[in-house]
Amino acid sequence: MSKIQEHRVMLKYADDPEQATLAGYRHNGGYKALEKALESMTPDQVTEEVLASGLRGRGGAGFPTGRKWQFVPETDKPKYLAVNADESEPGTCKDRQIMELDPHQMLEGSLLCCYAIGAETAYIYIRGEYPHSIKATERAIEEAREAGLVGKNILGTDFSCDVWVHPGAGAYICGEETALLTSLEGNRGYPRIKPPFPAVEGLWRCPTIVNNVESLACVVHIINNGAEWFKGLGCEGSTGTRLFCVSGHIARPGVYELECGKFTLRELLEDFCGGTGTGRPIKGVMPGGSSFQVLTPDELDCTFDSDSVQKAGSSLGSGAIMVFDDSVSAVEVALNIAEFYSHESCGQCTPCREGSDWVRKLVARFCRGEAREGDIELLMDVTDRMDGTTICALAEALVWPVQSYVRKFRSEFEAGITRRAAEHEFGGFSKPVESVP
Amino acid sequence: MRPVSGNGKFSAELVKRVEALWERYPDRKAALLPALHLIQKERDGWLSDETIRDAAELFDVPDMHIKGIVGFYDMFHGQPVGRHVVRLCKTLSCKLRGADELRAHVREKYGVLNGETTADGRFTFKCFECLGHCEVAPMMLVDEEKHTELTTDKLDAVLEALA
Ligand SMILES: Cc1cc2nc3c(=O)[nH]c(=O)nc-3n(C[C@H](O)[C@H](O)[C@H](O)COP(=O)(O)O)c2cc1C
Ligand code: SF4
Repeated sequence: MSKIQEHRVMLKYADDPEQATLAGYRHNGGYKALEKALESMTPDQVTEEVLASGLRGRGGAGFPTGRKWQFVPETDKPKYLAVNADESEPGTCKDRQIMELDPHQMLEGSLLCCYAIGAETAYIYIRGEYPHSIKATERAIEEAREAGLVGKNILGTDFSCDVWVHPGAGAYICGEETALLTSLEGNRGYPRIKPPFPAVEGLWRCPTIVNNVESLACVVHIINNGAEWFKGLGCEGSTGTRLFCVSGHIARPGVYELECGKFTLRELLEDFCGGTGTGRPIKGVMPGGSSFQVLTPDELDCTFDSDSVQKAGSSLGSGAIMVFDDSVSAVEVALNIAEFYSHESCGQCTPCREGSDWVRKLVARFCRGEAREGDIELLMDVTDRMDGTTICALAEALVWPVQSYVRKFRSEFEAGITRRAAEHEFGGFSKPVESVP
Repeated sequence: MRPVSGNGKFSAELVKRVEALWERYPDRKAALLPALHLIQKERDGWLSDETIRDAAELFDVPDMHIKGIVGFYDMFHGQPVGRHVVRLCKTLSCKLRGADELRAHVREKYGVLNGETTADGRFTFKCFECLGHCEVAPMMLVDEEKHTELTTDKLDAVLEALA
């Protein structure tokens, strides 16, 4: 028995098939937080409570949610909430659990946010490839509307708020908050230069809060149980519980709700998740989606929380942990990642558009065992020039992992240089099945 | 269905739904993505230049604006597609659990590469980036249904059941 236990707050009723219905959700205490806020708290008090809880955004950047809400200026303009349900970071499948199994929880959190910031409209931007999440959320909104929980004069108060699902159409970049807004307005999903930040100038140039689904789900429990209770879970810097998606070569893949700061990354993977399950040792771990650095087996003894994983040289990002064993070529993994970002670059910035394509072709060359002398230096140089020179963070999301693969698995890259390929286990290991157009 | 309102190019049912979408936003253009999903469904699963012109007229935006959107988003098709669209996830978590083998199988058994349609017009195969089912990888979406923990046998069984 592992010393690690799940602590289910957000997923507490995920196994109850009735939880997705309004009756089921209410039976399990749903909409109590909204009632409490509307009856006994001012909007500012809601924000204060969220701030005091230490909640940090669960979309990847980890920004304090309460702080963000405080950025919304006093103004006569309409204000908006855009819920980020675009979940497209490789390895991430947690928001989907909330939307499919417990959509009212996200809805209640969204209403609490709207109340706090003074928004009367919320759009839930759900990636188009999540038809089940879209349907479950639309059904939840309809039920809530009929019950007077969405729309005019919610629960008989003077708080009014409309909520709509907005389906995306297949573009990773629309998860970036400003791209999400540009897309929602009916355009290609192009990120915008910040500042102005969305909280000041977002949808139709009005103040807009963009929050991840899980961040909003946390808000429900913070209002129900108080900031102190939330802070008592997890550890400093990573308060509350968090959803983690474990996938790849792992004996027990799944989405787990865990408290940070109580165990190491190694214990989580080898003990709680049963190791690779392939009979082979771990070779690499991407602890926070594909946008951050890979960790090698000697780097897994850090405590499992945001700050410690950051100190170890990576990030918990969106809570997606991908594991691979030593049967896999590190160069091939790097190629898969490079293909992803070069496909998903929106093309606005030259360093990202051209650079990501160049990186993909270079890494593919190593993969085929056809790289030239000097290509490692070229790869590092191209990626250096992409770092910090673009509108949004997608470019860095390619640069950081790729550079980490080169640094940590250099001998495998060297083995991809033509004349050395034959001498190495992974030299010319793979022929990509077919390149992505 | 007989076209009655809108610009007369789409079914009355569709126009009604688009008009309801317009109510949700301060600017009609914002309804483009949800509307194009509906329009694509009504027009055999793809958005031809003619359909794009009709949609542009309905929304009173330049054709090129919609053409730009169709080219940008992977779920909109600028070319005809088969009766079913099969989206096979190719990203890391699925790859580590057999996505490459599934792609090779599709190429051999169905004779198509990424983006192509089978000769009988039944399936269009597309390799997609992470489809968010990493804990039950590998996976594919067939139209709006998901199929997880796939094997080549399971993939064949799903597809055989479809006309
Ligand atoms: C390239 C890129 C992709 C992103 N994708 C997502 C995503 O799919 N879902 C998400 O919630 N945040 C995503 N983010 C983070 C958002 O920009 C933003 O920080 C987040 O939605 C804010 O919500 P939070 O504070 O509640 O986490 C992405 C960021 C970047 C740079
Ligand atoms: S960095 Fe890349 S994805 Fe981001 S705006 Fe520039 S081109 Fe687009």
